[in-house]
Amino acid sequence: MSAMLLNKEKWPDFVGKLTGKTLWAPQGEGEEMRFAPVAEGEAPALEYGNTRVPPKQAVFPQTETMFRFQLGDKEVEVPELKEEAVLLGVRPCDARSMAIVDHLFSWDEDDPYYFKRRELVTLVGLACSEPGLNCFCTSVGGGPGSTEGLDLLMTDLGEHYFLEAVTEKGEALLKEAGDLIEEAGDDQVKEKDQLIEETAGKIKRTVDHEGIPEGIPGLWEDKLWQSVSASCLGCGTCTFLCPTCHCFDIQDEVEGFDARRCRMWDSCMFSEYTLHTSGHNPRYTRRERTRNRINHKYSYFVDKFDVIACVGCGRCVNLCPVNIDIVEILKQVKEAL
Amino acid sequence: MSANYEPNIVAFLCNWCSYAGADLAGTSRAQHPSNVHVIRVMCSGRVNPLYVVNALQQGADGVLVSGCHPGDCHYMEGNYYARRRLGMLKDLLEFAGVDPRRFHMSWVSASEGHKWKEVVEKTVEDAREAGPFEGFKRQQIDW
Amino acid sequence: MDLDKLRETAAEVAARDDVKYLVGWKKGSYGYRVAPAFVENAEGAAELIFTPLCTANLATYLTLVEKLPLPRGQEPDDRKVALLVKGCDSRAVAQLLVEKGIHRDEVVVIGCPCPGMVDPAVLAEKYPETEEPAELKWSDDGFIIAQNGEETAVPREELLAEKCRLCRYPNPVVSDIMIGDPVETWEPAEDEGVTEIEDKDVDGRWAYWQEQFSNCIRCYSCRNVCPLCYCQDCILDRLNPTWVHRSVNFSENTAFNIARAFHLAGRCIECGECERVCPANIPLGKLNRKLAREVRDKYGFEPGLDPEAEPFQASYKPDDPEDFIL
Repeated sequence: MSAMLLNKEKWPDFVGKLTGKTLWAPQGEGEEMRFAPVAEGEAPALEYGNTRVPPKQAVFPQTETMFRFQLGDKEVEVPELKEEAVLLGVRPCDARSMAIVDHLFSWDEDDPYYFKRRELVTLVGLACSEPGLNCFCTSVGGGPGSTEGLDLLMTDLGEHYFLEAVTEKGEALLKEAGDLIEEAGDDQVKEKDQLIEETAGKIKRTVDHEGIPEGIPGLWEDKLWQSVSASCLGCGTCTFLCPTCHCFDIQDEVEGFDARRCRMWDSCMFSEYTLHTSGHNPRYTRRERTRNRINHKYSYFVDKFDVIACVGCGRCVNLCPVNIDIVEILKQVKEAL
Repeated sequence: MSANYEPNIVAFLCNWCSYAGADLAGTSRAQHPSNVHVIRVMCSGRVNPLYVVNALQQGADGVLVSGCHPGDCHYMEGNYYARRRLGMLKDLLEFAGVDPRRFHMSWVSASEGHKWKEVVEKTVEDAREAGPFEGFKRQQIDW
Repeated sequence: MDLDKLRETAAEVAARDDVKYLVGWKKGSYGYRVAPAFVENAEGAAELIFTPLCTANLATYLTLVEKLPLPRGQEPDDRKVALLVKGCDSRAVAQLLVEKGIHRDEVVVIGCPCPGMVDPAVLAEKYPETEEPAELKWSDDGFIIAQNGEETAVPREELLAEKCRLCRYPNPVVSDIMIGDPVETWEPAEDEGVTEIEDKDVDGRWAYWQEQFSNCIRCYSCRNVCPLCYCQDCILDRLNPTWVHRSVNFSENTAFNIARAFHLAGRCIECGECERVCPANIPLGKLNRKLAREVRDKYGFEPGLDPEAEPFQASYKPDDPEDFIL
């Protein structure tokens, strides 16, 4: 796959060439950046750590209409998904998370909504040069320059962006750019590799998950779950901001005779998540739910799909209101094993 | 705002005073606007302030809650509680940017048919001035 | 605040036969974080701290307790819970007592007079944190940040949290044991955040809140962290009837936030936690503080001061204001 260089001065022109598609890029101020549509004619300045809400919104929206119907009808109207989009500046961890979640949405049958959006969305990534305080992507199989899940990866080399295509879609983008870009030489490739290595070296937090996927179910009754979950509030912040979390709820909403069935994010940390209609709740307290969350990410998912469902983005650590730190929890798990 | 905008008002009337008062206005053939959709409740104290929010969400341009005069509540104190709670709701809605002309509360007794006519006229006029309330309506979203 | 005295008292209380555990603050896992600590013995008590970073309101843990059905023959453990509280937190305890959410003999309240907390977001922006847990202390005219072996003195005005600027009760109003002497109260600042919105016209206010509520991701952090939101079955979660749909859009988000603010009218003790934890940085405090101010001005009532008072929304006075009624 091609490796090209784009002079930063030509960045607005490059963005301008991406016509016919909606462009999304991180926008906002300070800590609270979000992926939002880019205004016509603007070129987003890609200077940010990472967005609060991960770009999984693009392929797995927080609220999605599955179909509409009129009460009393036998026909339903399915939304037509045809809007193509390009997400600029996705971090490698977030893109990798989509590759991980792909496994789940294709488990027995391919989820048509999710995969249609995956097809329509092109992910242009931006390699990291400054890891966040709580990033630990290198411990879980990722890295600041990982290309998994991306269509095109950009690395900031100072005056140029190093562009490497990863998929056909990425190649197509490079072709569209035409003569704005030039072939990258061996020197630049070396420079890029060095930059990525340096960034990886700056990552301070690590997680040693050797033996955890196999061993953690054995800790079912361990008292560490009580101490770890004692301060949990049962809010949904960690799950909603987690790029690999994918649980959803399906509800019907009716206004008069207009109705729609929609799918929205749900959180395993909510108390009514596993509430049965009988009133019984197998995960009645936060201890069970916290235990479930860690087990799911580091054991059950590995069991089914051979990959840890955590990309080390650090959002749950940064934003948990009571400082429940997954890195610390895993340390405790490792000790208990 | 289109020329044929007719405000949609939802009114919660207490069974013993306001509903009877509205009925009296009807039997007296007092001419008043017909934009008000009445929901009868047993007491104004029974009105959960979230009903008001819900009504606005479902497309009402204005909401009215009406009960017995203080001291005359059929259940002794229901209207006192309503006065407190709905007073707070009015302040909150106004602070959140909902036009204060959209939410009213009134005391209408069973013999005040003429007062009911005036209350309805005021509520409808205010909602007409404030315009259709599209901003809060439930939306059906794709993507 | 004498830290040794705090730890000693905590160890003593936690070791009591009639106390299940004690809830306090301990150093977090990195930077400026502080985590709630659940202490059952002297070892745990040795980790307790009380610094300008202890913004968390621990009173929410009094009502967060989940009781599993017990195996036959096992008696429920209804020993007391001990709690470290600042001024604002103690008001939450007082309000819970008013509403009978907890009983006075279920809780041991240890009061910590509070000189004022730091705003963690402002702090992290001006003095970036590192992975090593940092320490903060109060000084005579502000705060001292001790990080990576270096100490930086910062004037109070620069870092004091907004909720502390407006604080009227830095000394706990309810307590069984008080650690240290009461702090000097300060003149509460003008609530500019609320006045700024009051000064806008109706359309301006709607536009402001529209922008804010569009960012809400309905994570329910605000509700879960609030010590006074403790309904087992929250009305805003109910599906039959559905008051507020689960779907996330402006209409539902606004309804959710307005409903929650309304349920806190006359109950909110202005601890500012909802605003601190919101991942979308929505200024929820403004909504709640505005209502708190209306309750103060119009009804002369302040929640969370007198455990024997009557709840605001469940009581009335014959001469309550009714100038808004036609």
